[in-house]
Amino acid sequence: MVYTCIPLLHCLELGISKEEALEVLQIVRREASGEESQRSVGLPSVRKYTALELLEQEHAQGSIITFCSALDEILGGGVPIGKIVEICGAPGVGKTQLSIQLVVDTQIPECFGGLDGESVYIDTEGSFIVDRVMDVAHAAVQHCHLIAEAGQDEVQLEAAQAFSVSSILSRIYYFRCHDYVELLAQSHLLADFLAEHPKVRIVVIDSIAFPFRHNLEDLSLRTRLLNGLAQQLIGMANDHGVAVVLTNQMTTRFGPVQSTLVPALGESWGHAATIRLILRWEGKLR
Amino acid sequence: GQISRRRSREIFTLQNMANKKLKRTGLPSELCERLSKYQIVNCQDFLSLSPLELMRFTGQSIQKVSALAKTVSRACAPKMVTGLEMKAQRGSQHSTAFFPTSLTELDEVLHGGLACGTLTEVTGPSGCGKTQFCMMLSVLATLPVSMGGLDGAVIYIDTESAFTAERLIEIARCRFPNYFCADQKLITMTNRIHLYRELTCLDVLKRVESLEEDIILKGVKLIVVDSVASVVRKEFDPRLQGNLSERSNLLSSEAATLKFLAEEFFIPLNAELPFLKDEAHSSVKPDDWDNFRNPHRMP
Repeated sequence: MVYTCIPLLHCLELGISKEEALEVLQIVRREASGEESQRSVGLPSVRKYTALELLEQEHAQGSIITFCSALDEILGGGVPIGKIVEICGAPGVGKTQLSIQLVVDTQIPECFGGLDGESVYIDTEGSFIVDRVMDVAHAAVQHCHLIAEAGQDEVQLEAAQAFSVSSILSRIYYFRCHDYVELLAQSHLLADFLAEHPKVRIVVIDSIAFPFRHNLEDLSLRTRLLNGLAQQLIGMANDHGVAVVLTNQMTTRFGPVQSTLVPALGESWGHAATIRLILRWEGKLR
Repeated sequence: GQISRRRSREIFTLQNMANKKLKRTGLPSELCERLSKYQIVNCQDFLSLSPLELMRFTGQSIQKVSALAKTVSRACAPKMVTGLEMKAQRGSQHSTAFFPTSLTELDEVLHGGLACGTLTEVTGPSGCGKTQFCMMLSVLATLPVSMGGLDGAVIYIDTESAFTAERLIEIARCRFPNYFCADQKLITMTNRIHLYRELTCLDVLKRVESLEEDIILKGVKLIVVDSVASVVRKEFDPRLQGNLSERSNLLSSEAATLKFLAEEFFIPLNAELPFLKDEAHSSVKPDDWDNFRNPHRMP
């Protein structure tokens, strides 16, 4: 098609300046894209920015605090919107707990430094226990009430009233996936769900590893499925302005002298997440 | 009791969303015909393919294929439930949400007892009383609710041949002498405990996968697996590298099925796991099973 030709070539052939050639091409392009947009079914939004625009956007979008200052510091303020954070660690170290904390923290009203958002929790292990979520929610509500009481700010007092354990629970959208097929199915439908629920600011998948570690002998299939999933999630994080948090398990890598614990799901998966948090026990501390 | 046919069919399809036939997902039948020629017959087959492969097999454009993928996904994706709805569901079952172990201090720490609907792991060095504990729980489960029991049957999967009926009766008579004074009560109790002796990993897995029917038919309220580790240790030498992934595969399949059963039927599940001694390696390896059980561990 005409509009794919290089402007320079045109210059040389027609003896016109580069700018004039560009003008011609732009006119042609506009005509052509006018036809095309009638034929195609919903092109994705153009994703190009200058670095400055991106910086401004990242600052504006905010992040989700974890209530653990050390963690928030490492993360640069909290879990960032628009990125994928992977939480790895041995069993029992607190990955699910952190995930639950995050889906509650997302809902903290803006006047208290939160995002006033809703949360999606995709559970593949069945470790989401409502009673525990209620405990975490209760603590967050108390925290906000204390701030409001101390400050006596109108806005804060009003927001604290509306912020309750029930309101938090009602804005956590929970999906229980029993195997990788259900997880893949859910990921296909997630973009539409996020479009219907524009206030969602976080998507947690706990854990991404479990369904891919059994009944899947073909490792290359596993790699391909995981890559596809990662791409979908990155797209969703950007298009819908959500933070994506995945928990991963640890596995043993055998070395010549000693074995080490490494995140599961293989080496190529390591490139999927923007940020990888590895939680470890050091004596009695994490 | 009587189970309606519809309910039992529902239950059997719940575990098999992946196996749901494409014909039942709303895809046009000519498309299903065409796909079946390439051995693509259920949701799992369809969703495991890349977009390019789907385009090739269906002969459709990328946009069409995305729409088809959504149709198939809608047929097998889980239903959304809000946290508040989960709390409400839990609330209605609250009176039997925990199964008291009858050891008061333990019950206190566990906020009431073993959580119904989850997998609990009992672990400890050999000889500390895990099997005894499991047998006691079995007796308890058959007791009426007024006595702290679950008034139900028990499935006991025994891999070490450690379960003896004599000891069971001894425990029953000792802990509840007034209740079990008559032989009739003992007979009723022992009739409700269904023992399965499985000696290989594969047998355990197959047994676990076939439990669904038994649970419904027998009114099972407690499942005990004693023990998970012994068969695994017998068959998988952890020093051989290939074995580790196979072992992990097996344990994870077992865990997934057990969890599904626990959640679906809202029963507590007790899996026993003796401590694995680390002989060859200096660094501590997490037992693969740890990754798969719910966060209730009783050392």
